[in-house]
Amino acid sequence: MDTSALIDSLHPLEIKVLLALATRPSGTALGSEQLADAAELEASQLSMAIEWLLAKSLIAVQTETVTPIVSLTKVGEEYYQTTSPIERVLAAARDATGTGKRLTIPDLQSQDGLDPSDVSKAVGRLKKEGVLLIIQGGCIETTGRPSPTADALRALLGQLHESSKELDGFTGTHRQVIEDYAVKRGNAKEPFRVDERVARSFVLSQDGVSAASQLLTQGVTEEVSQLSPDLLKDGSWRQTRLRKYTISLRPPRIGTGKKHPYREFLDTVKTKLVSMGFQEMRGALVETEFWDMDALFMPQFHPARDIHDVYFVKEPSHTTAVGEPFLSRVAKVHENGAETGSTGWGYSFDVHRAKRLVLRSQGTAVSARRLAASPQIPGKYFSIARCFRYDQVDATHATDFFQVEGIVLGEDINFRTLLGLLNLFAREVAQAKEVKFLPAYFPFTEPSVEMHVRHPRLGWMELGGAGLFRSEVTLPLGVTVPVIAWGLGLDRMAMVALGIHDIRELFTDNLELIRTTRGLF
Amino acid sequence: MPTITIFKDDLESLLTGEDGIDRGIPMAQLEEWLMLVKGELKGHNPETGELRIELQDSNRPDLWCCEGIARQIRIKQQGRLKPYAFFAETPTSPHHLIVKPGMEQVRPYVAACTAKGYRVTEKGLAQLIQTQEKIADIFGRKRKTVSIGIYQLRKITFPVTYELVKPDEVRFTPLGMETAMTLSEILMVHPKGLEYGPILAVQSLLPILRDAKAQPLSFPPIINSREIGEVRVGDDELFVEVTGTDLRMVILSLNIFAANLADRGATIEPVEVRYPTSTVLGTRVKTPQDFGKPVTIPMKAIEQALGQELGEALVQQALEAYGYDVSAEKGSVKAKLPPYRHDLMHTMDVVEDVAMSRGYAEFTPVMPAQFTVGGLSAIEQLSDRSRELMVGLGFQEIISNILGSPDQYCRAMRLEGTEWGRTVEVDNVMSLSFSCLRQWMLPSLLRIEAASSRAFYPHRLFEAGDVAIPDGTHELGSRTETMIGALIAHATTHFSEIHSCLDVLCYYLGKDYSLEPVQHPSFLEGRAGRILVSGKPVGVIGEVHPEVLERWQISMPVVAFDLNLSQLMGLG
Repeated sequence: MDTSALIDSLHPLEIKVLLALATRPSGTALGSEQLADAAELEASQLSMAIEWLLAKSLIAVQTETVTPIVSLTKVGEEYYQTTSPIERVLAAARDATGTGKRLTIPDLQSQDGLDPSDVSKAVGRLKKEGVLLIIQGGCIETTGRPSPTADALRALLGQLHESSKELDGFTGTHRQVIEDYAVKRGNAKEPFRVDERVARSFVLSQDGVSAASQLLTQGVTEEVSQLSPDLLKDGSWRQTRLRKYTISLRPPRIGTGKKHPYREFLDTVKTKLVSMGFQEMRGALVETEFWDMDALFMPQFHPARDIHDVYFVKEPSHTTAVGEPFLSRVAKVHENGAETGSTGWGYSFDVHRAKRLVLRSQGTAVSARRLAASPQIPGKYFSIARCFRYDQVDATHATDFFQVEGIVLGEDINFRTLLGLLNLFAREVAQAKEVKFLPAYFPFTEPSVEMHVRHPRLGWMELGGAGLFRSEVTLPLGVTVPVIAWGLGLDRMAMVALGIHDIRELFTDNLELIRTTRGLF
Repeated sequence: MPTITIFKDDLESLLTGEDGIDRGIPMAQLEEWLMLVKGELKGHNPETGELRIELQDSNRPDLWCCEGIARQIRIKQQGRLKPYAFFAETPTSPHHLIVKPGMEQVRPYVAACTAKGYRVTEKGLAQLIQTQEKIADIFGRKRKTVSIGIYQLRKITFPVTYELVKPDEVRFTPLGMETAMTLSEILMVHPKGLEYGPILAVQSLLPILRDAKAQPLSFPPIINSREIGEVRVGDDELFVEVTGTDLRMVILSLNIFAANLADRGATIEPVEVRYPTSTVLGTRVKTPQDFGKPVTIPMKAIEQALGQELGEALVQQALEAYGYDVSAEKGSVKAKLPPYRHDLMHTMDVVEDVAMSRGYAEFTPVMPAQFTVGGLSAIEQLSDRSRELMVGLGFQEIISNILGSPDQYCRAMRLEGTEWGRTVEVDNVMSLSFSCLRQWMLPSLLRIEAASSRAFYPHRLFEAGDVAIPDGTHELGSRTETMIGALIAHATTHFSEIHSCLDVLCYYLGKDYSLEPVQHPSFLEGRAGRILVSGKPVGVIGEVHPEVLERWQISMPVVAFDLNLSQLMGLG
């Protein structure tokens, strides 16, 4: 071992302890108290220094003795101040025998401040000692004999009230009473506690001897731990010895400013989409059924529009007006297809229902509004929209979640360019090289596709759904070019990236978890 | 959409036409075939051979059964659908079902047929009941528009009549009961009467199906007679009827049942339904019936949509292999759906079937080539800049639900009955914990603070996100705005600590702000301010009121600000 490097890294407390041992004859072992005196250290400083020196193997434990120490518990102090159950039982029994009163165990147990189990224990003990008799009818009488237990208990309470003592100092009945009335596992309500006091003595190890002798020869220079402005200003740092640190220790924790890991994940997706030429769209949390569903050609009787699937707004329940000409156009398309080349759903469209306000149930509502607001052609749009579903909350269902979705408009849009776009998403968003396209069903697209990708770490997973918007959606909104509608299901990817298994943890309230989670995106 | 349970050996025998031979179709093969029906395998028990399959297409009730799935796969394998004879033939002396006047006010339409020669097995019966339930429940909108009954044919004497009776005029023993009941008793007592009775709620007369001997068959759409309308394992002569409010949906549902039973080996005999007045299909309507009409689709429309030249022959081949009846003409194809389908609303529906029949893998992806400029909305840019600054100020970002409870957003904030306490509330509340939208950010931040007293201090938290602010002048009754909220919690925090953070944020966002004292119930009086930019209020800042902290059970001083980025955007 490089002793001089070691010496440089010694803490002042360590040096004091080493020197205290080194100034005694070689091989002298000192106990903690002697060391504290010799090194002029507080008990807490000494124990720190000893642990450090032991870790560096500069000192060694010479002897270790374990001494059982008996002391009073809080209950014991109470008994000392007032009286113990066994004394109370005995006093009550003597009183009853003296006055000829009937006294039963239940009578004792109902007395104020007496615990029924303490009473049973006390009566049992006194009966065994021949102090009490239980006569006919369960009545208690005293025999007039003294109780060794009660007497010993009172004596012990007095002796231990001021200070704890070594257990080995007690013998006979006293020893027995301490053992019977000491706190044990499962019974904390006792007057005595027996603890083990460990006393160690320490000697210098071989390394310690050489370190100490070197310390003695070179002399201890004044050490400074902090380089200060004063030391720099007057140049005195040149004469100052700056203590070397043990830099292998773990640093204290600090709180950092940082993004939420799930937002960070969504930010990377957002950046990818922008880099692929997508414009961001925004929408409202509260939407009309018209934009949320009617404009997407979901018939008003569609099961997903049921009261058990969508949250309805209480007040106001309906919008004042849905924009024309969209309302009448969409109504006609639902009824008979109008000029879209469709047969329509063949039912009578309820305009009032279209005005019903709901909490946005799908991000596609944002796309529908975009289509109606003169989008660019060619154009690519996306939104990361908070949506709400009327679901029981569990590990895979949240009432409140993000949907990543959008549209692509252009003359060149068709089924094959749809597949091409999905390929691009697979590569850019999921880093997947293998892609599978499956037929799918969405009320507002035809043809519809579900995309499964082989994620480098997750294996095969569903990445999203897409399709070409039906003419029943685009034409009434004034769009005459083909439009891709797409949506990505990213929560599973995010959950794996963040190492969580419960969707509720994405919005966790556990700050420690948020602080320590780092995403592997 | 419907999830059904079928058995692998049943599917296999329907595919091969042979009984009970387990062909042992590999699961991978099966999953590939399921693409033809937009089916997703949700579960497989290798011991019982039970398969749970979710069918995605809500417009294809013919696929919500083992027979339908097998049929679609079989057609693909055989290249075309083998036509069902009973749609074409007109029997010389069919059974009659007579519809009496007055039905048009209640449940106007009925369709029926008989099926002989298929002996019902235990598994077959379970499939029959499952199909009946799925179609009536999902396609028939919980029996409102379509309901189905199946009976023992041998006990019926034709003609059957479909008519209205007074609620107490007829008695019969319904399925699931031991004694005869009147129709009004069934509506009041029978579980199905209670469940489906509302469909007939306003009617003073009720529908009934009876045979020539006046024996009740059923009380549609509620319940069958136990005597005639209980099909058992071993029965080999059945009578099937469908009633409802839409003639085409009613006939389509019967067509599906007829095709299913025929696939299992039954001989189907149509029934002639006689209406008192003319329907869109006449007064005498033979059912099952193929009422579909061919449509002519220009090749250009198909090829443009698919982005690929295919030619008439390939398109014809693909559609035939998907069950269509097709004739190719120059530049177009004339295609007709099979009689068990009625889901062709638009040319594009045919286009998708071409793609599915050929397989999506047959189409080579092409990148959309047109150039577009990407970018973020102005509010997102402002929000992102603010988030960066908050991170720089040492704040940990958090993210919260927007849907929460009035307890969190108002009561715990001491805002009940104040202007600040108004929220967008949900009408159909499932759980109070999710019953209103947040109107500001501070409760979201306190939610984390309240749960994190063990995390080491100081706590510096922020969240940027959407809120809904009630606004009677807005067409949606509320405005969705983006806010940023920040909170500091530790033993010696105070107003100026959070004020410094707001100051830095506003400085770098280039917004000149000032504070004016405000009495806000969530904050300590004299230590709260309204944030003004260009004289307009855009947020609040202050020391959180101890009573608020108590209600959240937070035992650490908290200072915070809430800043409305949407309002801020056009100002200062």
